[in-house]
Amino acid sequence: MRQDKEIINNYSLQIDQKQKYNIYGENGSGKTSLLKIIAGITEPTKGKIHSNPSFDMNKDIFYIGHKYGLKNELTVYQNLEYALNFANNDDHSSIESELEEYSMKRYINTQVKYLSHGQKKIISLIQLTLISNKLWLLDEPFTGLDKVKIDLLLYKMDKHVSNMGSIVITSHNIKENFDNIELC
Amino acid sequence: MLKSFVTVLLREMHIVLNTSSRVFMPIVYLLLIITFFSISLEGTTVGGYENILPQIIWLSCLLVSLLNMDSLFKEDYEDGTLDGIVINSEILEISLLAKVIAHWMFTIIPLVIVAFSTNLLLTAKFDVSIILLTSLIIGTLTLSLIGSIAASLTLSLRGNGLLLSTIVLPLDIPILIFGTSAIYNASIGMNYNSEMLFLTTLLVLFLIIAPFAASFGVRNSLD
Repeated sequence: MRQDKEIINNYSLQIDQKQKYNIYGENGSGKTSLLKIIAGITEPTKGKIHSNPSFDMNKDIFYIGHKYGLKNELTVYQNLEYALNFANNDDHSSIESELEEYSMKRYINTQVKYLSHGQKKIISLIQLTLISNKLWLLDEPFTGLDKVKIDLLLYKMDKHVSNMGSIVITSHNIKENFDNIELC
Repeated sequence: MLKSFVTVLLREMHIVLNTSSRVFMPIVYLLLIITFFSISLEGTTVGGYENILPQIIWLSCLLVSLLNMDSLFKEDYEDGTLDGIVINSEILEISLLAKVIAHWMFTIIPLVIVAFSTNLLLTAKFDVSIILLTSLIIGTLTLSLIGSIAASLTLSLRGNGLLLSTIVLPLDIPILIFGTSAIYNASIGMNYNSEMLFLTTLLVLFLIIAPFAASFGVRNSLD
């Protein structure tokens, strides 16, 4: 429900391991709301989320929405360091190599507020591969990225899926190599 | 559980260290309010201005602590880090309590130290200044906890500062009464234990209530 209007009704979605899903639909169709419900940020008005007993809804989900989830006042390294700490991961050795892979290493000690929107998005996406939670929930992940970064992200997604992970993204249109689910 | 508490605390500390204006601006504002009070009350108070100065400082600290209360969860809400806290916190209440404690430690405590020093410099009464310091430490933490409830409830509203103050100020009255009474009693040589006990009781009460209420407010605002 959004402002007393029903946006998603009688909807069921099963997310399996080693699968990539693309929920697509026009603006206002409820893609972001659905992603937030799966993430546990928003409570559904009716219905329930059931998960496998081995799946921890607090530890196994990584969600990136329209906001980047980065603190502007912290440096790139500090942001990634704290993302790892929140995920109970003390191994910070891969931060530099991940930044290198996305050609962002020179910004390692730059405060996030000085980065462009695209660069902020890349840093927020680097958190995905650093933490590597089982389920990635990404709201329009390709928006604002150049072709090279999109290809790199698609490669990282394939790698994650081959490691028993699952991915749910939202977009406005059908995506190749994804299970496309239309939301009307 | 403890690790997420410490992580939130350390992250807030780094943010404050990277943006020193968060610490200094409230101090400047506090000193300005005290100066304005001094100018307007000079020569008008019976028995000397220094007798009411600790109460003025207490009231000024309350008003200044209200100023940046709306930013307690607002920035996290706007940059999306609050989503991450809600998803990844084993116990959301603990993470939100860490945010309140961090806000108090890095924004309010410097203010309290300046308030104590100002009172000591202007009145030269060490015993009263110590009571001012103690009552402010207990009182401002309680004010921050109360503020966290209002901040979470008004999170998704634009221009929430005025609404937040309207919600918080009536709840702050008992703390202001007991805080200023303790200082007054100390300054005239009377017992102030009961006032301090009431302040401590209110602190314990809000330490229990506020994290749950704030958690409810945050979840509701993200909905």
